Amino acid sequence: MPRTTAKNGKKTAQPALPVGRHGLKLSLPPDADSAPKGAKAASREGLRSVGKSSQRVDGWEKVSGVAQFVDDIEFGPGLLYAALVESPHAHARILRVDTKAAEAVAGVVRVLTGKDFPFKFGLYMKDRYVFAQDRVRFVGEQVAAVVAWDAKTALRAARLVKVDYEELPPILDPMTALEDGADLIHPELGDYPHVPWFFPKAKTNVAHWRKTRKGDAAKGFKDADVVLEDTYTVPRYAHCAIEVHGAVGLYDNSGRLTVWTASQSPFTQRNLFAEALSPLGLTHKDVRVVTPYIGGGFGGKAGVSMEILGAAIAAKVQGHPVKVLWSRAQEFVNTYQRQGVVAKIKLGAKKDGTITALEHKLYWDAGAYVEYGANVVNAAGLSASGPYRVDNLHIDSVCVYTNLPPGGPYRGFGYSEFMFGLESHVTRMAQKLKMDPVEFRRKNAIKEGDILPYGAAMNPTGIQEAIDKVAAEIEWGRAVPSKDARKAVGKSLVLFWKSPAMPPNASSSAFLKFNEDASLNILVSGMELGQGLLTAMAQVASEILSVPVSKIRVETPDTDRNPYEWQTVGSHVTWGCGNAVLKAAVDAREQIFDLVERSLHLDRASLYLEDSAVKSRNKPGWSLPLKSFVIAGIQVEDHTYKGGPIMGRGVFMPEFSSAISDPETGQGGHPNVHYTTGAAGVVVSVDRETGKVRILKATLAVDVGRAINPGLVDQQVIGGLLQGFATALYEDMRFDAKGRIMNANFSDYKIPTALDIPDKTVPIIVEVPQPDGPFGARGVGEHTMIPAAPLIANAVEDAVGARIKSMPVTAEKIALALRKGA
Amino acid sequence: MPITTEFDYHRPKDLKEALKLVWEGKGKARLLAGGTDLIVWLKEGVASPEAVVDLKGVPELRKLEFKDHVLTVGALTTFTELIESEVVRSRFPLLWESSRTVASLGVRNRATLMGNIASAVPSLDGAPALLLHEARVTAHGKAGRRTIPMRAWFTGPKKCALLEDEIASEIAIPLPEDKHAGCYVKLGRYRGEDLAQVGVGVMALEGARYRVAFCAVGPVPARAESIEALLKGKKLSDGLLKKAKSLVREEIRPITDIRASKEYREHMAEVMLERGLLAAVSRLEGRGPAYGTEQI
Repeated sequence: MPRTTAKNGKKTAQPALPVGRHGLKLSLPPDADSAPKGAKAASREGLRSVGKSSQRVDGWEKVSGVAQFVDDIEFGPGLLYAALVESPHAHARILRVDTKAAEAVAGVVRVLTGKDFPFKFGLYMKDRYVFAQDRVRFVGEQVAAVVAWDAKTALRAARLVKVDYEELPPILDPMTALEDGADLIHPELGDYPHVPWFFPKAKTNVAHWRKTRKGDAAKGFKDADVVLEDTYTVPRYAHCAIEVHGAVGLYDNSGRLTVWTASQSPFTQRNLFAEALSPLGLTHKDVRVVTPYIGGGFGGKAGVSMEILGAAIAAKVQGHPVKVLWSRAQEFVNTYQRQGVVAKIKLGAKKDGTITALEHKLYWDAGAYVEYGANVVNAAGLSASGPYRVDNLHIDSVCVYTNLPPGGPYRGFGYSEFMFGLESHVTRMAQKLKMDPVEFRRKNAIKEGDILPYGAAMNPTGIQEAIDKVAAEIEWGRAVPSKDARKAVGKSLVLFWKSPAMPPNASSSAFLKFNEDASLNILVSGMELGQGLLTAMAQVASEILSVPVSKIRVETPDTDRNPYEWQTVGSHVTWGCGNAVLKAAVDAREQIFDLVERSLHLDRASLYLEDSAVKSRNKPGWSLPLKSFVIAGIQVEDHTYKGGPIMGRGVFMPEFSSAISDPETGQGGHPNVHYTTGAAGVVVSVDRETGKVRILKATLAVDVGRAINPGLVDQQVIGGLLQGFATALYEDMRFDAKGRIMNANFSDYKIPTALDIPDKTVPIIVEVPQPDGPFGARGVGEHTMIPAAPLIANAVEDAVGARIKSMPVTAEKIALALRKGA
Repeated sequence: MPITTEFDYHRPKDLKEALKLVWEGKGKARLLAGGTDLIVWLKEGVASPEAVVDLKGVPELRKLEFKDHVLTVGALTTFTELIESEVVRSRFPLLWESSRTVASLGVRNRATLMGNIASAVPSLDGAPALLLHEARVTAHGKAGRRTIPMRAWFTGPKKCALLEDEIASEIAIPLPEDKHAGCYVKLGRYRGEDLAQVGVGVMALEGARYRVAFCAVGPVPARAESIEALLKGKKLSDGLLKKAKSLVREEIRPITDIRASKEYREHMAEVMLERGLLAAVSRLEGRGPAYGTEQI
């Protein structure tokens, strides 16, 4: 794949565009890839801002503590507090809710129950309720809320709300829920509105069944020399963002509903709030969502979970802001959890290492409500081949209701979950074939143009380069003796891939406004989650407009002020929102060139921007500072002014995408816009007696297409791997026999501390451009977590010979397996 | 998250006043020192006392001194104060080593050693060092002042010998007269803060004498007398260690809970006993490893 390069101001080869085959179009602006002659401080490939590790635009605010989060915002003495009445049962009928005693408490303003909001909501399937109606489906589900003048009174009064339940037997695992005659968790499933790419089975607990069929799996297995079958299990996980969920709603006396939320999805929230509350007379124009900085999201703050309470309760206490803030325990229970999965894998291969067939059956513990989680199941069902060329493929990804808390998005969106089994299995298949597992992967890794599980062609990928670099970094093939006789050193290398999971019409948009001093305000609704989006967007605009990043302000969204963005999920905003910003910047630049051409009569084609000024290739030494005209306009010979404020506008929608396909085979659509791929490796030391694993080195090479900010990519690698290693080694949500979570706290749900960081982490950036990405960029946020679990499982086996097939791969499991084997 | 229970808050100026408040409380008063347990219980509604007696202003409880081969640790002494004390670091390295494993820095800055043993949870890291040093707690009650040896302190899970009308004022930790070295080995699920799933404390004294104590593997932290008797007068060898390990399952009664299974706890208690003994003897002989070094 040739790179887009520019030397000495001349354009060289454009990337080979797969237009037509992929339906992708190059969106690089005409001269975004060519630096003008003599460009000062031009960086690699002629770029001046993109590709540099600029300091974060939000860095100072966050380091100094002035950054504001939802709970920091001052709402004055009129602020009310809501406390929840929650179900103690995993499954029960609500017989009666008695709110009298709570209402009688001094300081209580209002007590609200399901009767006040008899309507459903949901992102992809409308199966959730603002408050439980006639039944509760998980422990912790909201049944009522008490609104009071202070938090203490609200909490005390909430204990006085009496709810009579008739307990029903809970279903706590997907395999039981799938049995014939299993009790129905949603008897009305057949009536729920949902997106057209979901296939719920009425009168069962199956909320969605994604089938992907390609080639002839039966024939593939017949052609195989070796067939390996096994089952892998993955438990539920919690995001544990440091900031808990919170929402403050204000339905003012003019009929305006404003909700301040800790969210990744302000516009999706506005849409769902307006939809859900439309029976109260609200329309989209009346609803405003403001999202200040958030203290981590990881998917847990995507869509709408508890925030509906902030919106709905506010609508019933008009004139007063009302705050709903989760405790840490509620954070574990009533937001989203990463879904558990039982994965049954059957893989066939020839002696020469060619994969002939893969059957991958995924049974997801999706929880009580699947309005978001069913799309995780869908995404996995489209991509559970992993980054391999598999001609004969059979995937069943089954979304199963259970009486556990609602499942949903978590960094990796299904891929972290299924890749544990798949990449464990791939290594084991290589062992069976007596083949080097890296060689086996190299041989079968997907290439550009290969046919994807759903029939479209694979985008450009640097996966082979990633494999080579990771193998070199961990010195694959060189055995490392342990200095400590009680320990053994092991290595592993696994692959990963992931595509954004988004509706085909998910779009991004941007406004860009010049100020008098030629500084810029960029308005986007892509959310800063800590990943550095605001900085990357400033760099994209800086690149086009030659305004330094330090003179660009990009802030978190307010749906009244900032233009539309679908959601900040799926590792798509650098790509989608980046394209919108790029287009807005190009729009502004073209306005500038138009103005200069018509007011100063300069040859438009000769114009370029450099150092916040317009210059002309035909007039060396001439320069018109942007600040002289971007607001004031250009004064011409007759003393009149031309122009006016320069404002750019950019909209991006992946117009080639489609989610409609044959429900029996998954063939025919183009649901995924592109895949980001890569490879990762670890060197671990495992104590044979204690089972303890120490990560001596971790490395991950990811093909980001183009690193807009390499420093931020490095941080994604370091953070994502660490988060993944924690799920691989010790994190694990536990529930008792009644469906109650046993570790809704950090005493027993362990997230990594500074002491648990690998001894060394080496990020490696691979850049094979994405033709439709801004400057070739594609997403990277989630990918860095995905390979962590199979890396650990495979390296542990390499070190001490124990194969652990259920996550997490704890020291206990390893030690007991070794003791048993000894 | 606010505390929703109502209680009277008292901050006595001396021990006499504190005791009076405790007696007036008739079992419904709770003592507050570091508060790292009590405040959490109040928030979670686990504790709902009628009165909270804040001891932080009681001067008699604020003490950390080494005199006549005895370290006296006042009830208000925090783990951070112990860790930062030069006397503790140089003369009571076992106490220093185990104190460093308690919770996290933030908790250690507030939590007290006395509070740790008064909460008497089976997993408490403070216990093995105190059991091995044969420490004594001084308690003041209606009947006056008494001394409780560590061996008699723990009476059950979350139960200690302190009576309802008593306040424990200090812990006396004697320094063994003979040359000695120790080791505390703690099993956690990761390297960050954790409650011990198994804790093993070992003290090796000149003349091939050994003291061994476990925590988190039975209803109360306790010395392992059969193991001490087996080892007495003998040099460590592979055979002896094997025999010692074979006695572990008779000395401990671990349970399966969310943190670890009984099986793993038993296995690890053996492994940790061996490593603790080897490290303690090696330290006694001046060969390290340095205190604070991970043994597992």
